[in-house]
Amino acid sequence: MDKLIVSPSPHLHTKTSTKSLMRDVVIALIPAVVVSVLFYGWSELLVLGVSVASCLLLEYLITKYLLKTSCTLGDWSAVITGVLLALNLPATTPWWVVFIGAVVAIGIAKMTFGGLGQNLFNPALVGRVFLLISFPTYMTDWAKPQGFITNSIVDAYSGATPLGIAKGLGPQGVEAMDYLNMLFLNIGGSAGELSAIALLLGFAYLLIRKVIKPYITLSIIGTVAVFSGIFYLANPAEYTDPLFNILSGGLLLGAIFMATDYVTSPMSKWGGVVFGVGIGVITMLIRYFGAYPEGVSFAILIMNSVVPLLNKWFHTKKYGR
Amino acid sequence: MMKTFSIGGIHPSDKKISKDCKIEVLPVPSKVFISVAQHLGAPATPVVKAGDQVKVGQVIAEPAGFISAYVHSSVSGTVKSVGPRKDIAGNNVVHIEIDVEGDEWVEGVDLSDTLVTEIPQDNKAILDKIKMCGVVGLGGATFPAHVKLCPPPGKKADCLILNGAECEPYLTSDYRIMLERSKEIVIGAAIMKQVLGGCPAVIGIEENKPEAIKAMKAALAELQAAAKGYEGISVMSLKKKYPQGGEKQLIDAVMKRQVKSMGLPIDVGAVVQNVATSLAVYEAVQKNKPLITNTLTVTGDCLPLEKQHNYLFRIGMPLSYIAEYAGGVPEEAAKIISGGPMMGKAIANLDATTVKGSSSLLYLTAEQTVRGVESACIRCGKCAEACPMGLEPFLLQKYARNSMMDELEENAIQDCIECGCCLYSCPANIPLLDIIRIAKGDVIKIIRGRAIKN
Ligand code: SF4
Ligand code: SF4
Repeated sequence: MDKLIVSPSPHLHTKTSTKSLMRDVVIALIPAVVVSVLFYGWSELLVLGVSVASCLLLEYLITKYLLKTSCTLGDWSAVITGVLLALNLPATTPWWVVFIGAVVAIGIAKMTFGGLGQNLFNPALVGRVFLLISFPTYMTDWAKPQGFITNSIVDAYSGATPLGIAKGLGPQGVEAMDYLNMLFLNIGGSAGELSAIALLLGFAYLLIRKVIKPYITLSIIGTVAVFSGIFYLANPAEYTDPLFNILSGGLLLGAIFMATDYVTSPMSKWGGVVFGVGIGVITMLIRYFGAYPEGVSFAILIMNSVVPLLNKWFHTKKYGR
Repeated sequence: MMKTFSIGGIHPSDKKISKDCKIEVLPVPSKVFISVAQHLGAPATPVVKAGDQVKVGQVIAEPAGFISAYVHSSVSGTVKSVGPRKDIAGNNVVHIEIDVEGDEWVEGVDLSDTLVTEIPQDNKAILDKIKMCGVVGLGGATFPAHVKLCPPPGKKADCLILNGAECEPYLTSDYRIMLERSKEIVIGAAIMKQVLGGCPAVIGIEENKPEAIKAMKAALAELQAAAKGYEGISVMSLKKKYPQGGEKQLIDAVMKRQVKSMGLPIDVGAVVQNVATSLAVYEAVQKNKPLITNTLTVTGDCLPLEKQHNYLFRIGMPLSYIAEYAGGVPEEAAKIISGGPMMGKAIANLDATTVKGSSSLLYLTAEQTVRGVESACIRCGKCAEACPMGLEPFLLQKYARNSMMDELEENAIQDCIECGCCLYSCPANIPLLDIIRIAKGDVIKIIRGRAIKN
């Protein structure tokens, strides 16, 4: 009987692995990727391709030649960084700018900290913000879509003629249409801001697969809603309203896919809630009073740096204590 | 909302493949080896020597301390030897080897099937019988039963909880006795409840065993209608969640109370006994029968249905004998577990014998049990989410790897119940519990050392 394995309990293990979790995140990103490729066409495909390929290549080279550790491409995390970086960039971004973004994301934000699990900041966001500061012209050149199905649907949605639905909505019809537009297609943003529905589909998938818990995302959205709600009610002429703020400027992309990054978000539930509230508040401060029209990326990065503190302050509720 | 414990927990597939296999009585082999260390506490001292004639139910080893227990012969015959033999982990433990001759029982044991429903009034005599019959907790810890039933001065039991959760996957022995010996279990509960001063008794069963819930409820109703002493007992269905059967978790689920760190259940007025222990109490008190048998499940995905069994075994039967009798060890078995797959022990030595607390021979295939390669912690928090004690295993393993004893104690590593939820849940295959278990031992030593000094 010497062939028996003898090892300590537990003797069973969940089927969920780092790889399966990360792959689920990639799957959750598919709707957003599909929508952005459909509407931005070849140029978006190029950005995506360059971004993902560079992230994979860089991680491979760094693990092999610099860190001399085992290859980590199999965990899919570099793919996520690549897709997220691409979705944060305009489809018109030149390929070499995308590549620089990948170098910063993988080479600096991820691997110098020791790779997956060690980095303080979300790699894709660091890449994006670096590009935003270094190449502002490329980064604010929001494209008019040159996509595969531009004419039929985009015209239908962005045309001045109200659709059938709007008719039933009375005087607010046109305003309501704008939000319907944004919910499905928010033309003229970075790829990841394109479709709230696509992002929310991804969110639902992540929740169903138990990849993430909803509280970080919800506390960000809730905070943005409350914060902008107060300002909007006080002075509707000056400040944009809550729904606009939630549906625009990459807020959903950030709240669903980047603020929930395991590595760079707090471990505990209450830490996560505080983290989310912080992101919401900082985002709105930047949007209302800051120099940039949107602030999600900065807000997440700033709160990333507070995570070690949040982990120190907030712990799980212990049994019998 | 169905009751369950409030923190953490996991939902592994329950795999109760052998649940419909009736309990079969194993024939007595030609030789048994009875261990003197079958309970928590000091090993018992043998009181027989080679050449002695023994009968079934005769005391062959006596307790060696307050927390210790009597050991009885499970067979009749001649003592062949008293000496070291390897237990399931491969450690040497004193065993009493007996060559079986016939099946002659000591006097006074009631071997009939008659149900004795009337509960004796003398609590001291009851406790004495429980002790003399060597009854220990059969839910895993094998803590001497009479000790738990005598709360220390100043402490009072508010509730007796009977653990019928059987939350470990695969195991079905408790389930079977709840179906086949329901009344005896209820009588055992009534006896213990009386000894504890008449506190209410709750039989907690997970909802994935509706037949057991039904059977226990029916047995209870029948006894309540027929005899005295059965008031204040109830059956409670619990949500299916591992580790529901953990003592601390069960107290939380049933009583909404939590035992303080390093405290005992009785501190919050709880006494927890397994349903199998209740059956043993019944047999000891009502039938004078010492604890020499128990029920064991032979199961595993790699066993065809006809080779799945629930057996009534006599303590001291070698595991290899049971495995052979059940049709042999399956080819695909890479690991054999005694106990459940979450907290049970891997068997290093199939020639080891069964003990009072043996509950299974579980065959796992390599595919089921071999862990994946460890990778970096991705800080997903799944281990902390799963921990029923509310600990943060990712943090504990980090501190443990750096021998940061103060931090480990501050973060309550000593509260770990070794349930394995953290390791089970970790997507990065980090051997969390392996690391935590060792560090926990060290921290508890430090805490004890400090207590002695002060
Ligand atoms: S083994 Fe210990 S640390 Fe791990 S989940 Fe169970 S109680 Fe928590
Ligand atoms: S479950 Fe594993 S990977 Fe996740 S936080 Fe815990 S130790 Fe890290």
